[in-house]
Amino acid sequence: MNIETNVPKINSNKGMKIRKSRSQILGKCINYTLLALLGLIFLYPFWYCIVLSFNNGLDALKGGVYFWPRAFTWENYLKAFQNPLIFSSFRISIERTLLSVVLSVFMTALMAYALSQRNLPGRSGIIFYFYFTTLFSGGLIPTYILYRQIGLLNNFWVYVLPGLYNFFNAIVLRTFFYTIPESLKESARIDGCSEIQIFFKIMLPLSMPALATIALFVGVGNWNDWFTGAYFVTTKRELYTAATLLNDLLSQATFESSTGSTGQKAQINEALAASVSKATTPESLKMAFLVILTIPIMCIYPFLQKYFVKGVMIGSIKG
Amino acid sequence: MDNDKALRFNHRMSLKKVFSKYGSFYLFLLPAIIWYAIFAYYPMTGIIIAFKKYRYGLGVFGSHWVGLRYFKEFLADPHFYEIIRNTVVISLAKLIVNFPAPIILALMFNAVSAKIFKRTMQTVSYLPHFVSWVVVAAIIQKFFSPTTGLINDIRVSMDLKPIYYLGQKNLFLPFIVLSDMWKGVGYGSIIYLAALTGIDPTLYEAAEIDGANGWNKLWHITIPGISGTVGIMFLLSVGGLFGANMEQILLLQTPATFDVSEVIDTYVLKRGLNMNQFDYATAVGLFRSVISLALVVTANYLSKKFSEVSLW
Repeated sequence: MNIETNVPKINSNKGMKIRKSRSQILGKCINYTLLALLGLIFLYPFWYCIVLSFNNGLDALKGGVYFWPRAFTWENYLKAFQNPLIFSSFRISIERTLLSVVLSVFMTALMAYALSQRNLPGRSGIIFYFYFTTLFSGGLIPTYILYRQIGLLNNFWVYVLPGLYNFFNAIVLRTFFYTIPESLKESARIDGCSEIQIFFKIMLPLSMPALATIALFVGVGNWNDWFTGAYFVTTKRELYTAATLLNDLLSQATFESSTGSTGQKAQINEALAASVSKATTPESLKMAFLVILTIPIMCIYPFLQKYFVKGVMIGSIKG
Repeated sequence: MDNDKALRFNHRMSLKKVFSKYGSFYLFLLPAIIWYAIFAYYPMTGIIIAFKKYRYGLGVFGSHWVGLRYFKEFLADPHFYEIIRNTVVISLAKLIVNFPAPIILALMFNAVSAKIFKRTMQTVSYLPHFVSWVVVAAIIQKFFSPTTGLINDIRVSMDLKPIYYLGQKNLFLPFIVLSDMWKGVGYGSIIYLAALTGIDPTLYEAAEIDGANGWNKLWHITIPGISGTVGIMFLLSVGGLFGANMEQILLLQTPATFDVSEVIDTYVLKRGLNMNQFDYATAVGLFRSVISLALVVTANYLSKKFSEVSLW
């Protein structure tokens, strides 16, 4: 800590003091106002979408709906869930996310527990074996060829298997395992516990905060991923996740506004058209869809905040 | 425990002993080792198709060698200059604008004394990080769409002509940089807030006694206090400079902006998966991977030299 010793000394006469505190108060006001404004910028886009999703679609086309639904309706949500394509995509998203979270957290914890054994022979070599993959990878095309070779294309498991392990998550967990006292494990070993028993009965229960953080990271990543569905599940629309379907609806909109044709997206167009009634437009349906996709995360992350803040700090420091 | 340490340095420890003591740990690692072999290392061998004329029937190893043909082709590609320029411009713009942003936000949070306000604002600022890029793209489209968008809605109500914002070439870069900032600035501030709480509060008290004002304290205590973290984070971002920005660009680019929006990653995707030119696309991808690796290694070397912090 370098503190410069020649900080200019300010005479603490009365006038100065009042001026200083005034400028401080002014600074505070500006800071609070700016932060509140930023808060609005972070929140309002979501609020705008929610408002539109609850507004009658045709009415919304007239414009002018900004802060509150003008013609309130549940219709968009009802239509969204009546649509078989939207409904199935949500089921796939939920299944994929739950399965990935359970498998990934468990397998990563096993890996991290082994890596937390400081005396494990060959440990640094094994860590480098894992770490190197974060520096260099085969790239998109060789990965695609691999998926094709092992039959992962257009297969539900493409959502789960390739994302099973993540080096960053393993490091966060390992760092947490370090904080559990060695003596605890040692006494369990003396009592005749096997390593797998220690893992299940001591490490996992004591690591709940860290596991919850990793579960959040894995869950959010899976729930939000649209790319896998869009490029590795190309022929089976019934396997689309909700995020991929939303992307399809969006690219269709861009496509239309730039070329005026619907092309290959006709199937989804039909499905959407079938669900359009007086109160619903493709636009309002899209908003309802967006809100449904975002609500689960909005509900979960504030509760896990104190954990993932710690997780981020650990992860950033250890690369 | 002493026995343990002795064993560690005794290289003659028999394999049998190692496995009876650590066998279950190797077992825990086995699935991970196999997974990394399949999903991370095996695709690396696929890189050789960058040097081969890939025929599906012959497979990766059976296809014929063509040497550096695809690299030469890429250098002669009419889009080469554009793609490299876009990749560099977008990455640098993000670094210059979005690297300081979380630091400034963290300093602003730090200056707030009202706890509830601070916590609420922090929570709100993390929110965009947790939504999908698809959702962000949908929101941007909803705001800037020429027909049903909020901005044009307001323009029309003011008797102005609607603008197709996402089709404007000169607006693409600001869209990319600002949406990236919107999504990441709050979450990025976490690490700096941690560094800020690590500063000894007695330093501020001492400075106050010496008559330092807010700016003095900021310049002489706060900034030096977090400069270590700032340095590490800067080197990390330089290392990841060419890293994945594909999702965001893919979602926000429109045919009208291809000139300024096509980057190496999106080009690889299009030539490879949309046009089935696996060999050529792999060569272009390898070109990027090598630059990325070089950047990471250089950044790590510099980091080691100047801050004694390194990734390995």
